Amino acid sequence: MRQYADNELVDFAVVGTGAGGAPLIARLAESGFSVVGLDAGPYYRPLEDFASDEREQSKLYWLDERLVDGDNPIVMGGKNSGQAVGGSTVHFAMVSLRFRPEWFRSRSLLGYGADWPVDWREMWHYYGIAEQALGIAGPVHYPWGPWRPRYPYRAHELNGAAELLGRGAEALGMKWTPTPLATVSAPRAHAHGRSPPCVYRGFCRFGCSTNAKQSQLVTFIPRALAAGAEIRDLAMVGRIELGHDGRVAGVHYHREGRWRFQRARHVVVAGYAIETPRLLLASATDRHPHGLANSSDLVGRYLMTQSNQAVFGTMPQEVRWYKGPPSLAITEHWNYDDHKAFFGGYCWMAQGPLPVEWATIQTSARGLWGQPLRDAMEKYNYQVGLKMVGEMLPDERNRVTLADEKDQYGLRVARVTYAWGENDKALIQHALNQMQMSLEAVGAADIFRQEDDTNHLAGTARMGNDPATSVINPDGRSWDIPNLWVCDGSVFPTTGGVNPSLTITSLALRMADRIGALASRNEL
Amino acid sequence: MAERYAGYDVLGKRHTPSWNPKTREVIDARLAVYREPRFFTASEWRTLWALCERIVPQPKHRAPVPLPSYVDEKLQCRQLDGYRYASLPPQDEAWRRGLAALEAEAHSAHGAAFTALTSVQQDELLRRMQHGQLMGPAWQGMPCQLFFEHRVLPDITHAYYAHPTAWDEIGFGGPASPRGYVRMGLERRDPWEAPRAQAPGTQAPGSEAPRGEASRATTAPPQGSSQ
Amino acid sequence: MSSRHPPAALLWATLGAVAIGGAGLLLRSRRPRAPTRSATVRAARRLNRAAGLLATSVLADSAVEHYRGSFHNRAMVAPLISGALSLAVSLHGQADRKAAAHRVRDAAYAIAILTGLTGTAFHLYNVAKKPGGFRWENLFYGAPLGAPAALLLSGGTGFLAERVRATPRWHAPRIGALPAGRTVAAATALGLLGTVGEAGLLHFRGAFNDPFMFAPVTLPPLSALCMANAAFGPKRRQRWLTRAMLRLTAWLGLAGVAFHLRGINRQMGGWHNVRQNLLNGPPIPAPPSFSGLALAGLAALGLMEDHPDG
Repeated sequence: MRQYADNELVDFAVVGTGAGGAPLIARLAESGFSVVGLDAGPYYRPLEDFASDEREQSKLYWLDERLVDGDNPIVMGGKNSGQAVGGSTVHFAMVSLRFRPEWFRSRSLLGYGADWPVDWREMWHYYGIAEQALGIAGPVHYPWGPWRPRYPYRAHELNGAAELLGRGAEALGMKWTPTPLATVSAPRAHAHGRSPPCVYRGFCRFGCSTNAKQSQLVTFIPRALAAGAEIRDLAMVGRIELGHDGRVAGVHYHREGRWRFQRARHVVVAGYAIETPRLLLASATDRHPHGLANSSDLVGRYLMTQSNQAVFGTMPQEVRWYKGPPSLAITEHWNYDDHKAFFGGYCWMAQGPLPVEWATIQTSARGLWGQPLRDAMEKYNYQVGLKMVGEMLPDERNRVTLADEKDQYGLRVARVTYAWGENDKALIQHALNQMQMSLEAVGAADIFRQEDDTNHLAGTARMGNDPATSVINPDGRSWDIPNLWVCDGSVFPTTGGVNPSLTITSLALRMADRIGALASRNEL
Repeated sequence: MAERYAGYDVLGKRHTPSWNPKTREVIDARLAVYREPRFFTASEWRTLWALCERIVPQPKHRAPVPLPSYVDEKLQCRQLDGYRYASLPPQDEAWRRGLAALEAEAHSAHGAAFTALTSVQQDELLRRMQHGQLMGPAWQGMPCQLFFEHRVLPDITHAYYAHPTAWDEIGFGGPASPRGYVRMGLERRDPWEAPRAQAPGTQAPGSEAPRGEASRATTAPPQGSSQ
Repeated sequence: MSSRHPPAALLWATLGAVAIGGAGLLLRSRRPRAPTRSATVRAARRLNRAAGLLATSVLADSAVEHYRGSFHNRAMVAPLISGALSLAVSLHGQADRKAAAHRVRDAAYAIAILTGLTGTAFHLYNVAKKPGGFRWENLFYGAPLGAPAALLLSGGTGFLAERVRATPRWHAPRIGALPAGRTVAAATALGLLGTVGEAGLLHFRGAFNDPFMFAPVTLPPLSALCMANAAFGPKRRQRWLTRAMLRLTAWLGLAGVAFHLRGINRQMGGWHNVRQNLLNGPPIPAPPSFSGLALAGLAALGLMEDHPDG
């Protein structure tokens, strides 16, 4: 791997190597820029480092302290925060969905949220590139949205839990489909390695030990290295430094026991929706007392998560949902049907929680403990479940701020404040009712609801056309400081009713092209 | 409660393609958890034992999973969750305070230590904790229901269901790499998965097949714990 | 439903027997050891061999796939029994130099035809009752619709073998009122197209991840075209191109086995994870069905060359 000295002035220092950072690093390096990607987490070698064990694999999550409060505090860790080269894509469930086109104009077309400063047709183009790069395995015909080219790999076989989603959806008169997933269903030869097809081991959200999962670790990171980028792992960036000219000069990062400084012409923050605002706020100076890129006072605001409630039941047949990716089937019906008394959309997917996670659901959602818990857990192989991914609306009171408490690096800990709005609650209740009907239709018994769960993050450095109401411009550049950029889910003005990773990666690919265009016009 | 998957032994698959070297290393370490308390004091340890026995009562006919040892390890080795409710203190402080408060509530309600109560009395106290009804000064303002929901339940139940004994009990396929699963449909299973569950009561306890090779011996609970 | 798994040893035993039987068919010399009574019998014996090779493929393939399906329906043993019967009588027929149909062989081949038809119905039902019915993904992962047809083809080829064998002396071989050579050629063309469809479907499922996966959907259709031309086209003394295409197709069937073995190696764990990869990886016994059909085609050419327009 090409390595840069700290005092070497690289073109781009990218903080974070996840769904946003890794594709940007790769494409910038392929375009000829010198790039260093820094990540707080380790650079894992999945074939050797990953065990088939939930507890051990929690090492993939961001486990450093964060404070959560508000009416509906968000559970962090594995629900939304990774700490590894490859970011949360190392532990994500691989669901790779395109936005509904109208969502890019949520305010103008659908009457809620905010408009994105990008056109859906432009995003459609980048979605296609991202799907090819990530080897998405999806159905031959996708039931919703405008035409898209065929997914590069065919959809996976359904497991019992997914089949039950299909039967339930059909009973409700809804379309459904095998989920487009970032794990291959046939051997894939990368430029620098092979991915064998998925063996359906079911530990997807605990790290894929076979490299079938097309995380950033297996796709864009090797491309980045091949193109001459450096990936510097176990490097916690604590502060962005400004030079005398008011532009960024580089980043302070902690590695191998001490603080260091990497010089860079440009700094891209790609730490996702908690760490990105945390870093921008923590980099405050006299000239920027409220943090960098924060003249709008919106850094950290408009935090969004997505509702992730579920309905579970018991079947007379063995389901053994631990086999295969957890979400092999999906219905996006309520993302495209607007006959609703609330804004926004949601989808739901089949589920397959492993034992520790299932115990968590039984204790938190049903309050079970003692012998009743053990009795309930013994039905493990007969369980079925449907879990939603639902849109939550942007609210500026939901935010990331800095607490006074400090972490092991001496950096102020993030405080994550969240409360659901009335629209969020209405959407959640609608979804729970629908999912329950679906389970009843397939003959599930002992049905119960998980009423409090969220996943994914977005929004804390929102993108827009107006510096007064956004942090980042349509190119990914901050309005305030021309060589400070953001490339992750923080830039989302709305969150949509689908998992965000494909959209984050597509935005990153678009941003790389925009940077290339700016460079060729000497506007960088 | 008779076993549903009698004879099924996840540990017995150690040397099949379902386990890889890293998994063997990890599970070996799990089974070799340090038994003696390093974080908790002797009296906290006694309370914790009694608490674990109520949160996950274990059958007497097999060696128990040493749940207090795992809780102790989590705190001793500073294994964090990645978030903390603002109204709860950090996990070290939360546990010490919570165990002390539990003892104080036991004295206040029954004039005896928690460890000396009957299991019915212990469960009653825990239910009250779960519903936010314990508010003695020993809590020092820590909401008891948050302590119960976000420390007691997850820290103890995760330890149980991360143990191969629990995987056998629920018929979980267990580690699966490089070999995953072939037959994924309803009512289908691979020969290396747990067999079909037996209805509870059809198999007498104690008649199950011998356990896997790893030792399950544990230190006996200290004197004074409930039965 | 079966709650016990048939022992894997049974599966290995079946595969072993199949390998030996298949080798027995293919390794026999082309030239008969003793002088034959007529070219007709020679053609019939070639057709028996083709039927046998098809039966071998079906026996092994259905054994593996139905083992994967845990024989959850008792009827799933039928293609193993019928395939074994078909293979046995085909070995017998290949050695038989008598110019007469054999009742036991006829019965075995008739059973194969019936089993193939019934199997197709079962497979259609299996796909239809899945959620989503006849969508691509159910075709990929449900019971393969074209697989029982290989048994049908085996029985059909054997049936043709017996009818050809039963040609009275000094007559041109006929199947009913139709010239035997052209009939067999037409059947071969159809059989090839069907097998192309099956291979194409599964290679499509595999996203043609290796360029060689295009071979079974490019070469055999050309062979089928040549066979159709032989069946319906003008009379011709020598069909050297068709013969070459058929030989290539036969070779392709064997090459396919080698490619599929390589494909198993590309799955996670390769041969160390054999219990999974033999079932989830590319099916080893499937490609030789092309060889079986090619042999039937070559027999048809032989018939047409010996009895032009007969």
